[in-house]
Amino acid sequence: MAGRGFGTWLREGVWAIPLRRYLAVLVSAALVVGLVFVVRVLTHDDRACAAGVVHPEGSDDCVGVSTTAYDFGRPQLRDAVRAIDRENDSLKPGAYVTVALMLPYTASTPSTLSDIQHELQGAYLAQWEANHAANGQSPSIRLVLANPGATSDHWKQLVDQLEPMTRSADRLRAVAGVGMSTDNNKKAVAELTRRGIPVVGSSITADDLANGQGGRDPFPGLARVSPTNTDEARALASFAKVSAGRALLVYDKPGDPYTRTIQASFAKLIKGSPYEPQPFTPPADRTQEGTTANTFRQITHLVCDTSKETDTILFAGRHTQLRQFINALGGRGCQDRKFTLLTGDEGSYLTGEKALDRSALKHNLSIRYTSLAHPDAWAKDTAKTGGSARDAKVLSDLLARSGRAPVGPIGPVALDDGQLIIGYDAMTLVVHGIREATPDGRTAPPLADVGLQWPQVKGSLRVSGASGWICLDVHGNPYDKAVPIVELTPEGDSRFVKIAWPEGRPPGKECLPPS
Amino acid sequence: MGRRLHGRGALFDAEPAGLAPRLVGLRPHQHRTTPYEHPRELPFVLLTGSRGLGKTAVLGELRSAYKGHTPVALIDCAHSAFAAPSGGRPAEAWSPVSQALLVIAEQLAEPVTGAGRIVFPRLMSGLVAVAAGGWNDADSERIRREVERILLLNEGGSWIAGFAGRWAGRVAANVVAAATGTGPLVSASIEATLESFSDSFVHRRHAKAATWYRDYPNASGNARRGLMLLSGHFRAGGTSREHAERHLVRALLADLTEAYAGMLPRMQRLGRPLVLIDNAQSAPGPGLTDAVLRDRADGIADQVVFIGALRGDGRPALRNAVRRALPEVTRRSGWTPDPAAPSSRALLVALPPLSPDDTLHIVGAACADLPVPPQLPHTTRRLTGGNPLGITLLAESAAQNLPEATSLGELLTADVRPHEESDGAPTYLELLGRLVPADRREELTVLAAAHDHDSAVALAEALLPDDFGPADIRSLQTRLAREGLPEIPGQFVGDAFVRTLLLLALHHRDADHGQWRTAHETLIAHYAPPEDGDGDGAGGDDDPVRARYRLHHELALGDAESAVAYLRDTFPSLPAATWLRSLRFIASAPYFHAHDADGHDFTGRDDRRADVALGRTDAGHPPPAGVDGVLHLRVRRLLHAVWRLTDPLALPDPKVADRLRFELEQLSNLRPAGNALLWRASRDWAEDAAAGRALRVPDEADDEGVA
Repeated sequence: MAGRGFGTWLREGVWAIPLRRYLAVLVSAALVVGLVFVVRVLTHDDRACAAGVVHPEGSDDCVGVSTTAYDFGRPQLRDAVRAIDRENDSLKPGAYVTVALMLPYTASTPSTLSDIQHELQGAYLAQWEANHAANGQSPSIRLVLANPGATSDHWKQLVDQLEPMTRSADRLRAVAGVGMSTDNNKKAVAELTRRGIPVVGSSITADDLANGQGGRDPFPGLARVSPTNTDEARALASFAKVSAGRALLVYDKPGDPYTRTIQASFAKLIKGSPYEPQPFTPPADRTQEGTTANTFRQITHLVCDTSKETDTILFAGRHTQLRQFINALGGRGCQDRKFTLLTGDEGSYLTGEKALDRSALKHNLSIRYTSLAHPDAWAKDTAKTGGSARDAKVLSDLLARSGRAPVGPIGPVALDDGQLIIGYDAMTLVVHGIREATPDGRTAPPLADVGLQWPQVKGSLRVSGASGWICLDVHGNPYDKAVPIVELTPEGDSRFVKIAWPEGRPPGKECLPPS
Repeated sequence: MGRRLHGRGALFDAEPAGLAPRLVGLRPHQHRTTPYEHPRELPFVLLTGSRGLGKTAVLGELRSAYKGHTPVALIDCAHSAFAAPSGGRPAEAWSPVSQALLVIAEQLAEPVTGAGRIVFPRLMSGLVAVAAGGWNDADSERIRREVERILLLNEGGSWIAGFAGRWAGRVAANVVAAATGTGPLVSASIEATLESFSDSFVHRRHAKAATWYRDYPNASGNARRGLMLLSGHFRAGGTSREHAERHLVRALLADLTEAYAGMLPRMQRLGRPLVLIDNAQSAPGPGLTDAVLRDRADGIADQVVFIGALRGDGRPALRNAVRRALPEVTRRSGWTPDPAAPSSRALLVALPPLSPDDTLHIVGAACADLPVPPQLPHTTRRLTGGNPLGITLLAESAAQNLPEATSLGELLTADVRPHEESDGAPTYLELLGRLVPADRREELTVLAAAHDHDSAVALAEALLPDDFGPADIRSLQTRLAREGLPEIPGQFVGDAFVRTLLLLALHHRDADHGQWRTAHETLIAHYAPPEDGDGDGAGGDDDPVRARYRLHHELALGDAESAVAYLRDTFPSLPAATWLRSLRFIASAPYFHAHDADGHDFTGRDDRRADVALGRTDAGHPPPAGVDGVLHLRVRRLLHAVWRLTDPLALPDPKVADRLRFELEQLSNLRPAGNALLWRASRDWAEDAAAGRALRVPDEADDEGVA
């Protein structure tokens, strides 16, 4: 039979004999199933990074909501993520609600990543505080990590993933974080709030990523912990006493919501300035170097060309460009002239920035910027109202315990950039809103009610954050929030200068925004 | 894949299924099922026919068609292994049937596609019991040899083969020890064999087998006692032995049934096992056949396909068998057993001669690369009458001797080597060796010239030793009839092909053809006209039958004159039909060598008969004085024309046939009384001769069918 071909062998040697036929059918079926499985495994581009986290179409990014100890491939986040997972695992099912901390965890820039690490640590500490040191208040808080991608490009996918969690056993009740005031984040917040998910922005400062613009609330349910850029600019102005003839504005064109707000605030301050504002155009991803260094070298010449009274440079841009500008200023021709560069909270990214030419700061150049928070701001009671050393001590005590169990470890902490403090405060605000919205005898608040709490956060219901009092106006924006002014030192640290107030003075004891 | 058999499609066809596939349930040479024709009871098929009809070839082809696909066993009952016990076994512990069962089981045990070996525990026990009856004075070596061969029947060839082999060795040792020890020997051997089952690891199957002999008559539910009785019956001989043999056959069939029973075997095995029995007319063939037929008639069913080859057309024991010719069973055998007659469970299928087409194919296949004379297949078929052996050997001879040999006669006398390794022998001797009984070939060679018992006796007196008397002649006649050779009045050997070969052998017996002449002269003398008018019956002159015999032999010796004279003189007086018959018979005289002008053999290749028939020699042959010269020459031409045209060794010549028609036509004008008959013959004979058929006398009743 061997010489008669495979077909004959198959038909007569296998198919004709029932036992072999059945075995062959079984084996073939098993092979087919195995083959299908193998083919699927091989062809199926496994897009999963971890549970709930996938590679989006055409991207290596890991986007999604991580409910496990997945660190998004960033080792520096590992300790904090594990601490959160540990804390989440200790919660009783049904007794918790979930808060998603939305941050671009997969960002590659070291400064951004360190900000994220610190905000994550702060949020975790607030979670731990809420679950362990709050007299058994319910519900417990479960923290999950929501990543919209390094540049938040995949915010839509993330929102689509978050929304069902509000109805599932996750009981998602709020999204915190959000991070920088980028267009994508703005769209993400708009979509989240449109779907009724309350959002608490921690470090967003842009004016147009806030409610109350011209009396409208485009983001119903959004609350912010940080002052708007306008408030920052106002605080900065009240601190610096800038006048039109002495300042030159350098701004990002076309800019993003953050830079545009800063630009607008600065422009208002120096209205009638003899110097035309100097634009620069960075790459779309503002963490990239691009070719703006050249632009800044040219602007440096313009700076030197100004009249002698001019000693202030107002910078409306992101931190990468800020660093490039500072480096350019370090090589300016007029080293003998003293300049103070004022900018928004982006300046906080420069602490610990390796690419910064620190020698520039030794040559009559001081960099001052508003910080979202600063550890030295409330080292002592700087002001009678608007914050207190006691409030700040709650966090510093927690931090002292965070190096080891049961709180930690959460990885190395650094407070200079304020992100940990602001993350802590944002999370504290979220917990406050959730618990205020939870009816007596219930374990979880209705989703919509959480967002309705924000206007009530004032007066005695204010949140006494580590960065200062958080009193929200009817639009969910902080009222007269303490703005620490910080100076960058040549050593790469930040030095607290003083607290500035958007209103020019601390808020009243009752902390009620004027109507 | 074996050679293709010609003209046996009714047996082997796959689509639509021939008889064998319908019985076995498998397509030949394939491992594919085909529907059964007899799903419940199946016939014991016996292929019948005389020697040379290809029965052995059919069985061989059946074996090669099914070997490896289903268990197949082929035994040749004429083999010497079944004639007498070997290896010192006493006759009381051996019979052809027991030997045949052992051989059949050994062959059936072989693994086939999809399934492993078959074990025969029942047959094994029975054979051990039978063999043990002959171990009284045996040495242990012989016992070991015998018992081990039998025990191998129980060896399954699967992964447990290693254990099984050890098992057989251990049991053999036990049996030998038991047999050579003190005490009742048979009983001890049986005990050892049966005990071996109980401790065997294939316990369940063996336990079933061990209890099988409980049902032996009078065993009273004791298997050991059953085997003892079996052994005793076998030794007793006679009908007791037949009884025991039937049980052994039944054991074989039970083992086969067991091998096909159950879920797993049904999913592994296709079709039915096939047992082929060649030469079933000789022992152990009848024993096996009768045992199977009786069991089947008794309702002990089995699903084993038996196909045997039976020389002749059946034994008396098979008188109720269903008889069919092969073409009748092409689509359906139409066999239904008669419950009252066991032998009706046999189906006798007569193998027919091969057709001219088959002949053409066989010759074409044998002489693939040779230019074959176009008439050769046709004349081969005419000479052999479709005998497959004759056609095959002649084709082989043609393949080996063409183009030197030009005529059939030369092909017959030329040497042929049927196999590569065999020595060459004249083709006709090779054929005779296989077509007639070897022990009576000498006698038949002489007697082939005879026409009836009396002439045979005359020939025997003249040419055969004295101890071959009339009784031997009668027994030879009976034997030929039993072997399936046709009985034809007027010929001692009925089959024309065999007779031609025998006469050729007689002719070539000695260089000067002395015996050939003696034989014919003896018969001429035997049929000599009565001296005077005191003769019986036919009256004073000459009985036409005796005359035509005598003249036939004279013509065989080359003397045509007296035949011409007789035919010329009787033409006006004899009835036309009788005259035509005489003409035909006289002209059927053999013509093996070219004759010279005097009618004597000579070595040339010249055939003068055509010349004479066409009138080319008339000028040199003046008619005797006082006779009608025209009639004389016409009869002479006619005689030679018929002689030439009916010679099986010569090619039909259309010109001679034409002449034959003309001469008969002319003769019809001379005989107003027989006009119509002669005229009819002129047309028929010319046609028949041209077509190579035997000449028919118009209005001929079958009662006088002289060949």
